[in-house]
Amino acid sequence: MVDFSRKTLRDLDWPVFLAPVALTLFGCVGIFSASPTTDFWKKQLVALVLGVIVAGVFAFTDYRKIMVEAAPFFYAAALLLLVLVLTPLGATLNGNRAWLRLPGISVQPSELAKVATILMLARYVSQKREGGLTIKDIVFLTAIVIPPVMLIFLEKDTGTVLTYGPILGVFLFLGGMRKVLVGASLVVVVAGLFAVYPHLKPYQRERINVVINPEKVNSRGYGYQTIQSEIAVGSGGVVGKGITHGTQGRLGFLPYAYSDFIGASLAEETGLIGVLFILALYTIFIWRLSLIALGSRDRAGAMMVMGFVGLFTFHIICNLGMVVGLMPIMGIPLPLMSLGGTSIISVFACIGLALSVRLRRFVN
Amino acid sequence: MSKSNLRDEQFNFELRLKAVLYLIMAMLAALAIRFWVLQVSHHQVYQQQAENNRIREIPIIAPRGALLDRNGVPLVDNTPAFNIVVSPDLMTGLDETVKVLVENLNVDRTDVVSQLADPKRPKSQPVLVKQNATQADRQWVSAHEYEHPEITAEQQPQRIYKYRKLASQVLGYIGQISSTQLEEPKFQEMGYKPGDIIGQAGLERTYDQILRGKNGKRLVVVDSRGRTIRELQKVDPIKGQDIVTTLDIDLQRAAEEQFDVTGQTGIAVAMNPQNGEILAMVSKPSFDPNVFAEHVISAENRDEVRAITKDPNKPLLNKSIQEIYPTGSTWKVMMTTAALEEGIITPTGSRFTCGGGIQVGNRFVHCMGSHGSPEIHYAVVHSCDGYFYRLGLKMGVDRIHDWVARFGMGQRTGIDLPGEKTGVIPDREWKVKTNPRDPVWKDFDTVLASVGQGSVAVTPIQLLRAESGIIMGGEFHTPHLMKEVKPTEKAEAKKYENKAVTLKLSPVTVETVNYAVWGVVNEGGTGASASLPGLNIGGKTGTAQVIAKEKVRTKAHQDHGWFISFAPVHTEQKPELAVVVLTEHGGQGGRTSAPKARMIFASYYSKKLGHPVARELLAKNDQPTQIRQ
Repeated sequence: MVDFSRKTLRDLDWPVFLAPVALTLFGCVGIFSASPTTDFWKKQLVALVLGVIVAGVFAFTDYRKIMVEAAPFFYAAALLLLVLVLTPLGATLNGNRAWLRLPGISVQPSELAKVATILMLARYVSQKREGGLTIKDIVFLTAIVIPPVMLIFLEKDTGTVLTYGPILGVFLFLGGMRKVLVGASLVVVVAGLFAVYPHLKPYQRERINVVINPEKVNSRGYGYQTIQSEIAVGSGGVVGKGITHGTQGRLGFLPYAYSDFIGASLAEETGLIGVLFILALYTIFIWRLSLIALGSRDRAGAMMVMGFVGLFTFHIICNLGMVVGLMPIMGIPLPLMSLGGTSIISVFACIGLALSVRLRRFVN
Repeated sequence: MSKSNLRDEQFNFELRLKAVLYLIMAMLAALAIRFWVLQVSHHQVYQQQAENNRIREIPIIAPRGALLDRNGVPLVDNTPAFNIVVSPDLMTGLDETVKVLVENLNVDRTDVVSQLADPKRPKSQPVLVKQNATQADRQWVSAHEYEHPEITAEQQPQRIYKYRKLASQVLGYIGQISSTQLEEPKFQEMGYKPGDIIGQAGLERTYDQILRGKNGKRLVVVDSRGRTIRELQKVDPIKGQDIVTTLDIDLQRAAEEQFDVTGQTGIAVAMNPQNGEILAMVSKPSFDPNVFAEHVISAENRDEVRAITKDPNKPLLNKSIQEIYPTGSTWKVMMTTAALEEGIITPTGSRFTCGGGIQVGNRFVHCMGSHGSPEIHYAVVHSCDGYFYRLGLKMGVDRIHDWVARFGMGQRTGIDLPGEKTGVIPDREWKVKTNPRDPVWKDFDTVLASVGQGSVAVTPIQLLRAESGIIMGGEFHTPHLMKEVKPTEKAEAKKYENKAVTLKLSPVTVETVNYAVWGVVNEGGTGASASLPGLNIGGKTGTAQVIAKEKVRTKAHQDHGWFISFAPVHTEQKPELAVVVLTEHGGQGGRTSAPKARMIFASYYSKKLGHPVARELLAKNDQPTQIRQ
């Protein structure tokens, strides 16, 4: 089944593979620069190697087998890990109970759960024969998303909870939800945001206010991180201050310069040139993934890849939006670049699956 | 084939997918534009903010210049002390910082709020919140540098007045500049800022600009916690210039002790009549300026400070220059000089009847004795009022006023201390102005004016300058306390520029007056208790009435006793020391003030002649001290 012929290697969608590798390596540079005394960047490199292996295995495996046969197990395993996080095995980091400490390694089950959920959603779509989604389909798809969302909500990881929104959205929209319902959903989402706002915690509201109304926020309060991030980005200019020469990141004005705010750190040190390089790589990555989806021989494969696209894009937009003060701080990392081994490996797993879709576009 | 399958659906999958893709591309493009705006359009602004973030300017307080006595003994200096300082720009919130300061560092809430919430202060300027931090305070601060980087303990110079109450009103004290002072143009011109510690009284105030020096600064790179990473630049503070005063610490101490042993209040000033240098200046009660130095923050709210500022006995008042008293008979030195110069009397030829007093209109004004019909020498030696009543009537008020004005009465001497008063010398105009119901100057007024009673009121320093000038033969020097300013690397040395005012007086007049004051002390006159064998001290006693004699009930109603004296007089040498003493409510000057003056002379001459000052004898203040020559 796994076919390593020369033709296969030639057919491989190299940009979809190489752009993420380049992004991860650039991320390592940023992590090193922001935290030179730690071995974070080495961990990240190890994760990259593991990710490439996982991607290879998945690329040369038939995605339909994984989708249909393995997805339920992945899904169940992910839910189990999420439950374990809530037990004493879980660990709290930066206020989120998102970590599972196992002997010698700690993993972030919520990262794995995203991929498992996408596979489970794609599996449901693959078993459908007819066209647009019925109300029943919508209910079933939503039901798949609810268990992980509930568990992650209990971990107080609000940012990650939000990522399930666009994933479900992509499946409902591309699955053929009727236009009226699409419109209605958008209205519900917008109304929901307004309804939730007064019930948010003060710090969450402050984080939103700093985006809407930067002048009115206490610059040393909850708006501090956003303001410092904008200063870091803006002071970088066109060419940047040079790797390891960023003052905002290195002197600690920029929080989490190696994880959530790595975009700001690199923007400070490599300037607009570095930023455009990153954005170009992400654009290529998303664009090529979408082309894979368009070229997929079946709806399920296309939907799966577009699920990945929705997931990645949401992360990229939210994270970089946060870095430039267009989005509130939600604790959403930058895919492939922020420190986090579990995230890297799961992204590369997705890449492997997408490559598998690509390789099997003509196979019957 | 698979593609065609997709197209067969009821909805256009491809179109929807492309819609999603283009939406994503649009958002990525929006991000790129936003980065462009921040990094290119607004680069300068953010660049500046990043620099402000990382570079802090930390002022280094310049130590104030020292005040030294004339022989270089430090009177006022600085001592290193630990102060708790808050950097407002590092505060996360005023309430939080105030809370920890109050709870952990025992700082008064109202004080610290008034300091930190002052909108006039620039955020970058550190604010002093506690002086003399204890070991425990400093430990707390260093243990909480992560949670509260805005609170630091810094070693800063603190003013120390080495001899505590000694010469306190002369040296003055320091304090934080007040908001009213900040609004005054003269303070603004000198470049004072909110929070500055400035001289508030005495020499500290007069010479603040010389003493204060110039603060230095450190430009440092700091991290987000405000911790210093490295130093970029250091500008050392320029220490204020030291000032050598004219005071002599030994003489000052001797003069202070005269009052301390008896618990009396009053003043004593010792001056070199040849150049106006003040060697000692005492005003009792006095205060300890260290209290102000230790409580510069919100001084007006501190009990220790209020105990001084609200004291009904006014210890802050330098009575030598800020209080006015009737001159009493010390006035007669000036009267004598004026009468001789006007030719109204001659040294030996003119006699006036004493008569035990004089009848003016329906009133009889007493003389304190019955002196027959003396000539001027006898009249001064025994302080015969009757003689001077009649002399005064003959001279007339206009000539009296004219002459004392020439001697500087009723005018500031120009001493280099703040707050000097002018005094009151009544004349016809004055009476019209102050007494509209009885505006006409009468003989009765002249009689009182001829012996320095009635409404005559001058500062002791005025009297000392005027009569020293007469004894000097018409050479009037401005009393002063600054001898020289020592140079620093950045500032030049300065010397006091002494300019004498001269008044042409005939040698006969001068010698007559000199002989008369010599007689007061050495011929069994009213000042006999000031005599020191062989030193040729001359002087004049005086009694300043506090209240009409018949109304005297308590000690507070008793007269002030004056004694003004000079040495040597009636010799070939020029006088080298002039001393004025006023004992408040002490009764006759000859009994209370003359012995004090004698001790001051004794102390001066024993130091000059190389003998140790006999402290225990000085303190006794009753027996004449033996001065070996």
